[in-house]
Amino acid sequence: MKRLGRRRWLILIAFLLAASFAGLFAVRTVRHALYWSRHRDEAIRPWMSVPYVARSYRVPPPVLYRAINLEPVPRDRRPLREIALEQNRPVEALAADLEKVIGEFRAHPERFPPPPPPHQSEGRRTP
Amino acid sequence: MSDYLLATLGVYGVPVLFVALLVGSAGVPLPASLLLVAAGSFVEQGELDLWPVLALSAAGAIAGDNIGYAVGRWGGRRVTRRLGRLVGGEKKIEAAEAWLKRREGVGVFLSRWLLTPLGPVVNLTAGATRYAWPRFLLYDVLGEALWVALYVLLGKFFSDRVQALNDVLGDLTWAVVGLVAAALLGVLLFKHLREPDAD
Repeated sequence: MKRLGRRRWLILIAFLLAASFAGLFAVRTVRHALYWSRHRDEAIRPWMSVPYVARSYRVPPPVLYRAINLEPVPRDRRPLREIALEQNRPVEALAADLEKVIGEFRAHPERFPPPPPPHQSEGRRTP
Repeated sequence: MSDYLLATLGVYGVPVLFVALLVGSAGVPLPASLLLVAAGSFVEQGELDLWPVLALSAAGAIAGDNIGYAVGRWGGRRVTRRLGRLVGGEKKIEAAEAWLKRREGVGVFLSRWLLTPLGPVVNLTAGATRYAWPRFLLYDVLGEALWVALYVLLGKFFSDRVQALNDVLGDLTWAVVGLVAAALLGVLLFKHLREPDAD
């Protein structure tokens, strides 16, 4: 009786732990999904390429390329980490420049030249 | 680690996926799901081609799973236990073993794409319990193909929100793992409550 009772208690505790664990992650899933539906922008990270940042922030890529002193054509698809290394500066500084120009573009899009036609902006990865 | 792997994927492309998924499926904790979602985003942006991404990712994951299976099969239970401690403890191994024996192929299949954190443990225990290799391979291929296609296509569809999507998928996976564990324990508890006391 005692042994079986103890086992029941252990199973009950394990069940409650597993249910709490599932509940915790279900709440986190909903929270993340809600946050996601309200905020489209992702924090700029070293692995991102300029086209990815442009896509995520809905800004024309040439605006971002010019902000970090790169030519928009051919399209540079390297991660920001690589570009920062080439420019000999921390990736955070590069990200800050991008964030600044994104803010400016969103506030006054008319101040930026229109993007070139699509066929000119296409290009291969420049390693 | 994630940033470094994603940056490497951006520079070197699909070979990175193959190696990372092989190593990750063999039991080394790597952000494999994040890589798949990111690869889907790169496909959408025209940086990678869809079919090589799908083929090499699935090949890497299947090769890694089979390394785990081989270690379990030929490494013996001692090695399995030692590795088991690395991937989550001996109890986890025993639980996976019991589950695998009962559910057989379903266990292998579901741990490929839905209960992914259990994958390396299931590989080891499938080998250690001498689960038939052709069957293991069949369910492994089916499950990994589904996992790779699902995550890459989700990444392709939500190509501007890779990290957010990965956060949601990661939490959802753990919620499902918790739910499955709670359901199994609930059934066990119910059986114990229905049984008359031993003495």
